[in-house]
Amino acid sequence: MEPAVETKKLTRVFNPKKKKEGASVRALNSVDLKIEKGELFGLLGPNGAGKTTLLKILSTLLLPTSGKAYVSGLDVEKDYVEVRKRINMVSGGEISGYGLLTVRENLWMFSQFYGIKSSIALERIDDMLGKFGMLDKKSEKVRTLSTGQRQKMNVIRGFVTDPQILFLDEPTLGLDVNASRTIRDFILDWVRKSERDKTVLLTTHYMAEADQLCDRVAIIDDGRILACDSPENLKKLVKSETTLRLDVTTMKDQRVLGTIPGVEKFTSTDDLENNITSLRFVLGDESAISDIVSGVAKGGSKILALRKTEPTLEDVFIKLVGKGFE
Amino acid sequence: MAVRSDLRTFKNAAWLGWQMEANWTDPFLFVIYSIIKPIAGTLILVFMYLVITSGATNTLFFSYMYVGNAFYMYVADVLFGVTWVIHDDREHYMTLKQVYIAPISFYMYIFGRAAIRIAITSMGVFLTLLFGVLVLGVDINLAAVDWPLLALALVLGLACLCIMGLALGGISFLTAKHGQGINEGVAGVFYVLAGVIFPITILPGWAQTVSRLLPVTYWMEAVRRGLEPAVMAGLPGSTGLQSLSNLQLMLALLVSTVAFLFISLGIFKYADKVARRKGKIDWTTTY
Amino acid sequence: MTGSAWIVQNLRAVRGRAYPRVLGAQREPSWIFFDVALPLLTVAAYIYMYKFMDAPKEFVGFVILGGAMTAFWLNILWSMASQFYWEKETGNLSLFLIAPVSRMSILGGMAVGGLFFTTLRASATLVIGIVVFGVTLSLSSPLMLIAIFLVTMVSLYGMGMMFASLYLLFGREAYNMSNLMTEPIYLASGFYFPVKALGYWAAAGASIIPITLGLDGLRQLFYPESSAQYGFLPVGTELVILVGLSVLFLILSKVSLDYMENLGKTTGRLTLRWQ
Repeated sequence: MEPAVETKKLTRVFNPKKKKEGASVRALNSVDLKIEKGELFGLLGPNGAGKTTLLKILSTLLLPTSGKAYVSGLDVEKDYVEVRKRINMVSGGEISGYGLLTVRENLWMFSQFYGIKSSIALERIDDMLGKFGMLDKKSEKVRTLSTGQRQKMNVIRGFVTDPQILFLDEPTLGLDVNASRTIRDFILDWVRKSERDKTVLLTTHYMAEADQLCDRVAIIDDGRILACDSPENLKKLVKSETTLRLDVTTMKDQRVLGTIPGVEKFTSTDDLENNITSLRFVLGDESAISDIVSGVAKGGSKILALRKTEPTLEDVFIKLVGKGFE
Repeated sequence: MAVRSDLRTFKNAAWLGWQMEANWTDPFLFVIYSIIKPIAGTLILVFMYLVITSGATNTLFFSYMYVGNAFYMYVADVLFGVTWVIHDDREHYMTLKQVYIAPISFYMYIFGRAAIRIAITSMGVFLTLLFGVLVLGVDINLAAVDWPLLALALVLGLACLCIMGLALGGISFLTAKHGQGINEGVAGVFYVLAGVIFPITILPGWAQTVSRLLPVTYWMEAVRRGLEPAVMAGLPGSTGLQSLSNLQLMLALLVSTVAFLFISLGIFKYADKVARRKGKIDWTTTY
Repeated sequence: MTGSAWIVQNLRAVRGRAYPRVLGAQREPSWIFFDVALPLLTVAAYIYMYKFMDAPKEFVGFVILGGAMTAFWLNILWSMASQFYWEKETGNLSLFLIAPVSRMSILGGMAVGGLFFTTLRASATLVIGIVVFGVTLSLSSPLMLIAIFLVTMVSLYGMGMMFASLYLLFGREAYNMSNLMTEPIYLASGFYFPVKALGYWAAAGASIIPITLGLDGLRQLFYPESSAQYGFLPVGTELVILVGLSVLFLILSKVSLDYMENLGKTTGRLTLRWQ
């Protein structure tokens, strides 16, 4: 069985001919990826990592500079007409559609671009509006919707055409907990009920989202895939190490912490309002803890809280990239 | 303090307006663009004139029509510019709401954007007049120009246009995408009724009464008397305002401008209130 | 997919994209005031100017016809040519591009919807103008009249579809392009005076804009008695040229669309906003 998505040494450079430093951007750098049919696959990375570029190539909006990309075994460069029959895409925060159409009309309009018979499209639309708790909004004009409602409508737009492969680019970006949960539950349900017929490629920079939803996750940074496995297996990458969290009073000079033997990687975030610095360590050797404690004291800070934690995908990212997402 | 803040808003809005108007291309192309449009608009009238008269452009009526049309560019451009600010900021750049909630004078923001329009239009008006004098024999004698009258008329007239633009800007809050037709339309009212390309005496009686209520009618007459006194003195028939002295004419312009100031402020404030009530400050209406 | 299934799929896309345009006219009724009543004022100004100059009476009809046709030209500039640029700015373009239908169907939908809306506006301008200024038009060749109008519209909207792709390449200049093509085209196409007045070669050059010959043909058909004096080419010849322009622009619109899409995919410009 051919994979749902496959890329081979996929590279995309923007402005390749520009000589000026920084003008030429290598958004994807020799990416090899294979996503099987029926998978809910996550692409996890910070802003500017290359996630959206990859989705644009796979959804036929952008050509690769070199390398190959296949969707359902079809070359996105050559067989783009056939690829489009099998896909759809939804982006977080998009403002697609026309403000003066109602929610139902807007969704119907997009379904027509996929040649779906009106009666079938409207039936699906009503069904999904019901599942998203939006049935009472179906006759409201799109411009009157809240951000969450609008994004739910966008997500429905992606599903209404019943694609084989759905590309979701940060689908819960900026949404509240409830709206995010509704969307995540629907995505999960859609893939699971399809009996390995439907595939979702989801990009996100929310660790928990990738952890909860995805069968497998690829961690991407600076256009490169750094690791690709199930969330459990990825977390095993740091299982042998200890992950430690410390909240200390604002610590300005943290250089000493990086030099402590046994500290593999660490990140810090400042909460200036509350005068707190949160430190996150991946340790190769637990004996480093006492050195960290004294290092903090030497740095003039006081420890407010200290705990060993279960590794998360963020720890994996820190270990692989050497920095956090923020 | 408030004056300083207003001036800064005005300056920044003018700078932003300039960036939006001009930085899409290089200066040379921008100048060409700024010339072609007004000259083409003027040539429509020239050909309309030629097709009927089969020739001569050195008549008093031709000069009358030509100068009126040249100065009318201010009317169309300023009114268009102000309403476009609302539409473009709201639907395209989606920045209207940010500007609207900023602690600045929104009036000054609009006037700043309008000021740059006036500056660019002035170039078009000048070049159109130059083209008329050099190529078509339009009768403008610099030695005979009544400069104080012309200058005063220009200042008052442009202020009046900005004030009227404000009312249209307010209405743009409430209108959909195609509402940009509002400027086309209101400018059209002035084109017909304000004696721009023909004397108002050709209009039906009721329309002439309306003409005399419009500041642009007095402005057109004043600008022409300032720029081409000989044409205005020799034009056969009446322009409809010939009985007014220059002083009376300027007074009429001033009074109607002040009247429009109150009307425009009233319309803008009302539209602003309705827009907030109906949530129209940041809507999009494209289709 | 069979040929007929492909056609049905694309016709659905045409219907889908035309829908918001048709509905827009109903949902935002303010257009009646702005788009019908007010443009008549410019028409009125030109009529009064002609009257002041004692122009022959058919010039009143010429101006009204030209004024009505401005609706189509403005629709081409602002709602066809600039539309893909607007769609890009609002985020719709990428969704159109990933849809498994011909982009020509989406452009076609825009054209059909726009044509419907604009025909309403133009008809209203025409009828009100005729009534207010007491114009009498001849209807001696209704079939030819319909043929000229329809072929003019097909070629004109074909041109609009071509512009839609080209405008995408201009980015923010699109607005300025439309602005620049208003008065100069009113001039070149003889919206308010018979295009013959420009001289043979200038009028021939302006005939690349379909509305030039379309408007000239309509004027000749509505005023057959002054056709010899003010008409540019025989109406039959104008019809043949317009048919040629229709084919040309539809082909060019497909070519430019493919070119734009390919260039956009190569450079990544298709989905970048605020350029």
